[in-house]
Amino acid sequence: MELLVASAVGMMTTVGVYLILQQRTFPIIVGLTLLSYAVNVFLFSAGRLVVDRPPIISDADAYTDPLPQALVLTAIVISFGMTALIVVLALRGFLETENDTADLPGEDLAPETEADK
Amino acid sequence: MTSGVGLIVSLMFVQFSAPDLALTQISVDVVTTILLLLALNLLPKTTPAETDTAGRLGRGGLAAAVGLGVGALTYAILTRDFQTISDYHLAEAKPGGGGTNVVNVILVDFRGFDTFGEIIVLGIAAITIFALLDNALRGAAAKTLASIRHPLQSKDAHPLILVVATRILLPLALTVAVFIFLRGHNEPGGGFIAGLVVAIALIMQYLASGYAWAAQRARIDSQAMIGAGVAIAGLAGLASLFFDWPFLTSTYTHVDLPLIGEIEIASAVPSISASS
Repeated sequence: MELLVASAVGMMTTVGVYLILQQRTFPIIVGLTLLSYAVNVFLFSAGRLVVDRPPIISDADAYTDPLPQALVLTAIVISFGMTALIVVLALRGFLETENDTADLPGEDLAPETEADK
Repeated sequence: MTSGVGLIVSLMFVQFSAPDLALTQISVDVVTTILLLLALNLLPKTTPAETDTAGRLGRGGLAAAVGLGVGALTYAILTRDFQTISDYHLAEAKPGGGGTNVVNVILVDFRGFDTFGEIIVLGIAAITIFALLDNALRGAAAKTLASIRHPLQSKDAHPLILVVATRILLPLALTVAVFIFLRGHNEPGGGFIAGLVVAIALIMQYLASGYAWAAQRARIDSQAMIGAGVAIAGLAGLASLFFDWPFLTSTYTHVDLPLIGEIEIASAVPSISASS
């Protein structure tokens, strides 16, 4: 099970990093979302994978570690706020300039974006 | 695709004893998916393929290296021995925090400052989004917006069944949100999830009945709501000072920090307002 979760984190990171290195804004947004999933699962796994011991005080004698869960809950909320912000930022940027590349125009424009206009 | 990943991540949280995380993840994913659809609707339809093979291979190699490293790191951490530092939290949650859901007690009582900061961050994000969209219908942005015409627009923009169903769902969703909000201290649930449920219910109104219809009936100014959310959180913290307790100390009786929900509503509503 550990191997499965670790490979899932690795896979999400790979796809996220690759998408962030693209030139258009939408792949970058999706890449950031995937990276934040990867980070959340990574932080969560720092509390180890425990099946069927939710940290809700009851008659049970053992619980999973609640602290990483609390941190990840905060992380999910913050990354949601961040995603919403960059989606709107990308949208407004495109509507203002009719250009959805992430690089500054004229700085290091790749040839294919020139041909795209 | 991201919503598929999100669904699987939240199922994983269910499997590994984290019901709160699963609930939060699934409701965040609904809103994120709607936001991404909004972006897809307005951003250019085609992404030109990046042709340089060397650059693509380089980026792919870099991504694979990072992914392998992170995966190996995760595996290394997961297979190490483990000494928890949360025994204090587990022991003190019921006598100290007055709740049996330890995760939410940590968020509200033990780490109140963290959550207060989180509320403020969300408030800032919401106000920024509001500012970015508020004047989007003027100037150069409006011209671009008007020039986007969709060839595949449906003839029936607001299907009757959808409109009626979402209007019936609104009070039901509000009730569910109050229920989730109030049980958060003892059972899985809490203010943030409740806020997202409210936000989803409101977004459905915008999607089903159109922006003009919903905006006309929204009586609460979303900017004021953001401010009120942060102010309530701050006041709940300040109240403890009057009893000679440190900032954000909470007792059993006063309703404390899970008011994050208030801000969520406001952040989600204006962001969807550009969709119609």
